[in-house]
Amino acid sequence: MSASQAAVSAIDLEQRSKRDARAERLFRWLLKGCALLVLASLLGAAGATLWGGREAFSTFGWHFLVSTAWDPGNDVYGALVPVYGTVMTSLIALVIAVPISFGIALYLSEVAPAWLRTPVASAIELLAGIPSIIYGMWGLFIFAPFFADHIKPWLTSNLGNKPDDGKLSWIAQHVPFIGKLFGSDYPFGASILVAGIVLAIMIIPFISSVMREVFQTVPTRLKESAYALGSSTWEVSWDIVLPYTRSAVIGGVFLGLGRALGETMAVTFVLGNAMTLSASLLDPGTSIASTIANQFSEASGLQKSSLMALAFLLFVVTFIVLLIARLMLRRLASKEGR
Amino acid sequence: MTDSALATNPAQAAAASAVAPKLTVRDLHFYYNGFHALKGIAMDIPEKKVTAIIGPSGCGKSTLLRIFNRIYAIYPKLEAKGEITLDGENILDPRYSMNRLRSKVGMVFQKPVPFPMTIFENVAYGIRHHEKLSKADMSDRVEKALRSAALWDEVKDKLKNNALGLSGGQQQRLCIARAIALKPEVLLLDEPTSALDPIATSRIEQLVEELKSEFTIVIVTHNMQQAARVSDLTAFMYMGELIEFDVTEKIFTKPGKKQTEDYITGRFG
Repeated sequence: MSASQAAVSAIDLEQRSKRDARAERLFRWLLKGCALLVLASLLGAAGATLWGGREAFSTFGWHFLVSTAWDPGNDVYGALVPVYGTVMTSLIALVIAVPISFGIALYLSEVAPAWLRTPVASAIELLAGIPSIIYGMWGLFIFAPFFADHIKPWLTSNLGNKPDDGKLSWIAQHVPFIGKLFGSDYPFGASILVAGIVLAIMIIPFISSVMREVFQTVPTRLKESAYALGSSTWEVSWDIVLPYTRSAVIGGVFLGLGRALGETMAVTFVLGNAMTLSASLLDPGTSIASTIANQFSEASGLQKSSLMALAFLLFVVTFIVLLIARLMLRRLASKEGR
Repeated sequence: MTDSALATNPAQAAAASAVAPKLTVRDLHFYYNGFHALKGIAMDIPEKKVTAIIGPSGCGKSTLLRIFNRIYAIYPKLEAKGEITLDGENILDPRYSMNRLRSKVGMVFQKPVPFPMTIFENVAYGIRHHEKLSKADMSDRVEKALRSAALWDEVKDKLKNNALGLSGGQQQRLCIARAIALKPEVLLLDEPTSALDPIATSRIEQLVEELKSEFTIVIVTHNMQQAARVSDLTAFMYMGELIEFDVTEKIFTKPGKKQTEDYITGRFG
């Protein structure tokens, strides 16, 4: 190699490293921009709803949060009924969906024969892709009537405080609150419980596919060591697999919860859309998202502002839920001695 | 060990010795999805001795070890045929309770695998599957296990810390503590030092030496020096067959078979 050739390649290297540094800077800015976009849209949406709801907040003050009134005739609005409906339906959905998803995920990752795993996993992903309006229609036309005919009578007569035959069951007499939760005079199926069940069906695919994926990340040797100590499959799942994947599992659960809190169409169909606060899970109610969906097109003035304020409250509720998730994770971590 | 008492016939080596066999293996075959991985293994593993199993990768030594506590049974399509008796009872009999077997036969794996729990819980966890102990008894038991595993002095002030914070060697000794906390009779070690540095390795080897007064130890190792250092008997396996099984000293100085000699002198492996 001659000296001139060596010099040429040295210049090239210099140029290249300069070019690389420029490209690197640009790349970093691009990435930063993408991340900031998320933050900006979050703040923008929260700010816009807060701004839109300022009239409602300034008119009703904190009463807006605790009032059950929603009276467009007299222009009086309160958020308690829809907030309660949102939280309650989502809670029911979680109570039903989490154990079932856990079962599905465990079955698929630990128990099922290999040839069954992939088809069932794909079926779950397909379920997650079904539009919510289809769940809503199914809930309205098929599940709610079935529930009203077959499940609701059993629930009210065995658990409720307003049974058809007038005789309170043992459970209703002895367990506090349970009678109230399951007593209802309302003859139709659409109710908080039905909405919760439909939501549960909708979020099961999300939660179970996240759980299944993270369960597969548990090292085989960790499971083997537990089996070697005499653990059963259940003990390995509960004591080893679940703690090992805990933060991802909680993440998956809250992903499902986030979806349940904001779900609009399906809930609107099966919740009954009644602006009344009832302790009974079998009575109709409303949620933030379905109230907005039902009223937005005709609302103006203070009502419109109140709907905006509701939207802001949905943000707040979601934020609180995420905060609780974080705190939960931190407490669990400290219990583990980390 | 009374070497002179041992017969030269490998399968009967232990049986002929003064020590009664703890585990006897007879005509053991093993199949992975139809692949014939072990071909008629027969050996007697003596009580309270260290038996090393050596051989090149894929010879079936780990497979053999994993049959002794039936850990293979957690996977589908694996099948063991033949007989392994522990104190005269056939452990391959499906009626032999898995829980009972695993309380009698403990296992330590290649890589240290502490559970995602505190150090104390790591040891207490297994005990809880088999015994109900009061809090004080449990502490005693955990302490004893950690002492036997030569780990107590290093962790006694941080029992409530997460076990993942320990060093690799400490983690492996924790796994040994976890296994011996169940008071097993047999301890299976599957290449227990292959992921450790030389200092941690020598501590584990020292520990094996101490533990053999209480347990029957079977150790699978890639490291021939290790087998020579820690074991009383050595089994050499090749291609799913037990080629030679005899007193360690004899295997390493006067091996009876050509294949054994080739392997220990490094001509293949």
